[in-house]
Amino acid sequence: MYILLNAFQNLLRNRGRNLMMGGIIFVIIISVVTALMINNTANGVINDYKNRFGSEVSFVPNQEKLMEEAQANSTDGRFRIQLPQIEPEKLLAFGQSEYLSEAVYTAETKGNSDALNAIDADKGGGGGPMIGRVGPNGTQEAESLGVQYYHKISNQYSDFEDGLRTLTDGSQYPENENECILSDDLLENSDLAIGDTITVTSALTENGAEPGSETYTDISWEMTIVGTYTDMTEEYGGNMMENAYTNRKNEILTTFETISNKMQDSLSGITVDAKFSLVSPDMLEAYTAEVREKGLSDTYDVTTDENSYNRIIAPVEGLKSITFTFVIVVLIFGSIILALLASIAIRERKYEIGVLRAMGMKKLKVVLGLWSETLAITVVCLILGLGIGPIIAQPITNVMLEKQIAASEEAQSGTEFSGGGTFRSGGASAMSGGPTSMRFGGPGQEDVQPLSELDVSLDIVTILEIIAIALLLSSLAGIIATRKITKYEPIKILMERN
Amino acid sequence: MTSILTLNNVTYQYEGTKSAVLKGINVSFEPAKVYTIIGKSGAGKSTLLSLISGLGVATGGEILCGETDLKQLDRDNYRAQSIGVVFQGYNLLTNATAVQNIVLSMNISKSTEKDKKGYAYALLNRLGIDRETADRKILKLSGGEQQRVGIARALSHNPEILIADEPTGNLDKETEADILHIFENLAHEEGKCVIIVTHSKNVTSIADTVYRISGGLINTM
Repeated sequence: MYILLNAFQNLLRNRGRNLMMGGIIFVIIISVVTALMINNTANGVINDYKNRFGSEVSFVPNQEKLMEEAQANSTDGRFRIQLPQIEPEKLLAFGQSEYLSEAVYTAETKGNSDALNAIDADKGGGGGPMIGRVGPNGTQEAESLGVQYYHKISNQYSDFEDGLRTLTDGSQYPENENECILSDDLLENSDLAIGDTITVTSALTENGAEPGSETYTDISWEMTIVGTYTDMTEEYGGNMMENAYTNRKNEILTTFETISNKMQDSLSGITVDAKFSLVSPDMLEAYTAEVREKGLSDTYDVTTDENSYNRIIAPVEGLKSITFTFVIVVLIFGSIILALLASIAIRERKYEIGVLRAMGMKKLKVVLGLWSETLAITVVCLILGLGIGPIIAQPITNVMLEKQIAASEEAQSGTEFSGGGTFRSGGASAMSGGPTSMRFGGPGQEDVQPLSELDVSLDIVTILEIIAIALLLSSLAGIIATRKITKYEPIKILMERN
Repeated sequence: MTSILTLNNVTYQYEGTKSAVLKGINVSFEPAKVYTIIGKSGAGKSTLLSLISGLGVATGGEILCGETDLKQLDRDNYRAQSIGVVFQGYNLLTNATAVQNIVLSMNISKSTEKDKKGYAYALLNRLGIDRETADRKILKLSGGEQQRVGIARALSHNPEILIADEPTGNLDKETEADILHIFENLAHEEGKCVIIVTHSKNVTSIADTVYRISGGLINTM
């Protein structure tokens, strides 16, 4: 106890030296506090985004391999790039994996029903092959060819989650096969009621026909209306083609099984989407191996949405990198400076150490006393640093992030993005037929903006890290003191002095 | 009377030197006596004191504290509890006050005194240092006052042996007389064994036994 008391008395006795020591320790601590706060906050944000963007899996065609394959198959020097097919049953198999936290399937097709009076039916239908032409006043126009559809049939309920659609009171989502919900406007326009049954027919295209000579097979669904929804968006949702088919209020929502059960090997016209989410982004490699084993062609790359992630996170990554380097540099230089200071302080206090040792104080207690002094200074600096650090960290972060965003945008301005996307298939298989289609330029891309704000905060982990670093630094001074004091013999010190 | 400290054939040779500075010291010290050790500069007086006080270790022979060889004792504890040393250069903590020096010494020696500060003031007062002076930093005290504080510190843990190296070397005659009187009283009235290394004839005048070191050996005068 007296060791501590004497240490505190020494702090007051040697104010000048201790103030200088405290000033240097404070500069080190405040630098570390600020840098660690920024670094840890950036790290948290990065991990958060990594989990968000790094877990959604996409099967993206590898352009190079497609090209190589097409060239290899060419016989007359001309070649045609054809996207390989991923059959729906394979998609279902890919969804059965322990590496996935979620596998969401959506199916979509088009249909007509005599029982339904489509809204804006006078604008005609759509959904068939399109042909573009220049209109009489020089504008671009498109005309639908083949069968005209008035209703889209799907099991996409994301608009309900996003609040763009709501289920009308008393309604329920379709749970069983051949149940559906309609928009309240369509129900009213068709003079139908919940509980009524409608028959919807879709003319699916026979596979293998040459363009222009397609043949169709009618597939019908008999569905019971179990509810209605209210659509709160604009009817056409920005769609340039305004007709009954593109009118959101004409959509028939049902279950995945209702649509997919009608898929046939020889027919196309039903598309299936699959959205897979990994349990952890780290599992991408293992999941890739698994889907390859299950038959995914190597012309597909299995990726996560890295582009959006990189675009959003690049400045924060830069910030993290800078602050990490800064912490390391401060710690290295801080340690050297502290070591020198401790060494000088011990040399300066050699006489005092000699007197204490001559009085019978053990070496360990002398070291403990000196270390207590350094520790007390460190604790005061630590408290000040933890108090002032958060105040200065935010403005520093803002300035640094701004510069990083500018640098990142500059670096990316010349880069062409090619992103992932969700998989869409209507592949030929026992379940269905038709060409596989991919949707490119998946989420993000141009509309994804880099993270422009970073709210720096001092969390418990950062506080613990700073305390550990502070203790480490003061212990370093203690170790140097121990080394020096161990070498000192009191008699020699006092004889030199006298 | 039984010896409190006995040196048997003690030798000491500094590292890097060809000959020993002490070549076989045989001497014993008893309680309640004042001993002075005289000799020319470099004769080995201070070396002998450093060995007796446990600051140095003899290269040969043995130093017995009572019946125990110093080599078998914890020398830190020996310095803290069994002996008191008054240094020529005082060797006090200059940034601390007189009373703080005494209290620290008592703490190091694990003194069981409850009111250490009160005891320190009383001890200093006994040696002619008033309370106001006791609360002043060492650097602000005169040489005589510092030497008194040095003696008080050496006595703070009530050792049986008091060793002093040229205790009056830096003092005027009046103060020297005061200090010598203190040493005399400590030996003859309090039963301490006082061993003083000196050049001063005044100091030898209070000694019960005077030893001379010469040629690495010790002789009675």
